[in-house]
Amino acid sequence: MEIKIENLNHSYDDKLILDNINIELKDKNAVALIGPSGAGKSTLLRLLSKIENQDSGQIFIDKEDISLKNSEEYYKEVGFVFQAHTLFPHLNVLKNITLILEKVHNVSKVDAKKIAFNLLKKFDLHEHASKLPNQLSGGQSQRVSIVRSLSINPRLLFLDEPTSALDPVLTQEVLNTILKLKDEHMKFIIVTHEILFAKKAADYIIFMDQGKIVEHGDVSILDNPQTNQLKQFLSNVFVW
Amino acid sequence: MKNKILNYLAALSIYGLLALLIVYMYPSRDNFNLGNIFKYHEIIINGFFTTILVSVFALIFSVVFGFLLYLLTTSKVMFLKIMGSIFDDIVFGSPLVVFVGVIFYFIAVPLGMNNRLIAGIIALSLYMAPYMKNLFVGAMESIDDLQYQAMKVFGFTTFQKYRYIIFPQLLKIMLPPLVGNLTFIVKGSSLLYFISVDELYSTIDTAMANTYAVVEGYLTLFVLYLFITIPLIRATRYMERRISNGNQNRESEPLI
Repeated sequence: MEIKIENLNHSYDDKLILDNINIELKDKNAVALIGPSGAGKSTLLRLLSKIENQDSGQIFIDKEDISLKNSEEYYKEVGFVFQAHTLFPHLNVLKNITLILEKVHNVSKVDAKKIAFNLLKKFDLHEHASKLPNQLSGGQSQRVSIVRSLSINPRLLFLDEPTSALDPVLTQEVLNTILKLKDEHMKFIIVTHEILFAKKAADYIIFMDQGKIVEHGDVSILDNPQTNQLKQFLSNVFVW
Repeated sequence: MKNKILNYLAALSIYGLLALLIVYMYPSRDNFNLGNIFKYHEIIINGFFTTILVSVFALIFSVVFGFLLYLLTTSKVMFLKIMGSIFDDIVFGSPLVVFVGVIFYFIAVPLGMNNRLIAGIIALSLYMAPYMKNLFVGAMESIDDLQYQAMKVFGFTTFQKYRYIIFPQLLKIMLPPLVGNLTFIVKGSSLLYFISVDELYSTIDTAMANTYAVVEGYLTLFVLYLFITIPLIRATRYMERRISNGNQNRESEPLI
């Protein structure tokens, strides 16, 4: 995956959230965005995934300027996992997946079921296939959300703090699912507060603070931070 | 189950005994003759079906008016919002019987709409519109923002969003209170008597006026209205229960 961001700025109500972001990444499959709350990580992810449009600047993914791409076409190529699960409550787990395949991606009913069921099986969720979302635990729901995003076979998956709404046990369950994505060579960008997990799952770390990218590099920057801000952040994270 | 039936029978027996006591205490019970009312069975049956017809149409139109009112009150245009809220105030502040009279005499008649049945249906529908609007507000709020974002990132078109995600959820949430509102409409339709719509109350009132069989008339009215409304009330409760149980343990459909 190749990502190039040039002079990216974004504000909410006159408050500058992303302040002139510039970065170029080549051949990175799993990127983790870390940093304190309010650093602009989730906003950057939302711009990368076109959920929102930037005020100014450009984003190229695999050499394509995403602002020039039609949103609906773009969403057919990428997946997004939110902080809390976004399963449609009136549809069972299987239908949550097959509806998107059938209606948006024009996959036949039979094939959609096959794809969904195989994926659920792969992630040990097949026994929940006929359950409604509110019959699942938080961890299971989030795992199904991930599986649903994978079902469209995205070339890139965005995960926005997928464990922030979960307790430590359920967090582990979801993190293991994401680790499995890495094993499968799925390309993803994740916003996370789980630093140890980022170290394990990512092959590139971007540390942000106050709307800027402060430091980035491979996972070794977590052991050997160069900037005071990252040092401070890591010392706060591992204070216990 | 058996226990429940026994308890039901016991409760009904108490009400039965109470009814017998009332009949026994009634001064001219020897004159009690339902036949006086049943002589008019043809117009009563017509009235019964008119009540059902009026209620069903008023339900349909009130859903439409309610949705329009929902669009007005949630509009970003301040003027439309205020229009909606004034209408809300008028309805919530008026007794149904007065509202029906005003709609008929001040609006329908000057506009040359002399069909009392249609005017009655419109009046009832307008009166119910704010209640229906509230159902839409509640139901729409139950679809959270994350779901809209999910629909967006999965690339649903606007039609697909409404057809497959929003509308099925609205229907599920709104169906029990809609049936509940139908009960209210059935009861409220009796007030169309005041603009001379030949619905159930009006036809039995005619029979009572001709025969002086007031007690028999009210008893018949009582039974016939309950005959319509109790199944609706039970259906509402059943659906509410089914939805709340379903949310906990009903599997929505068999797998593959």
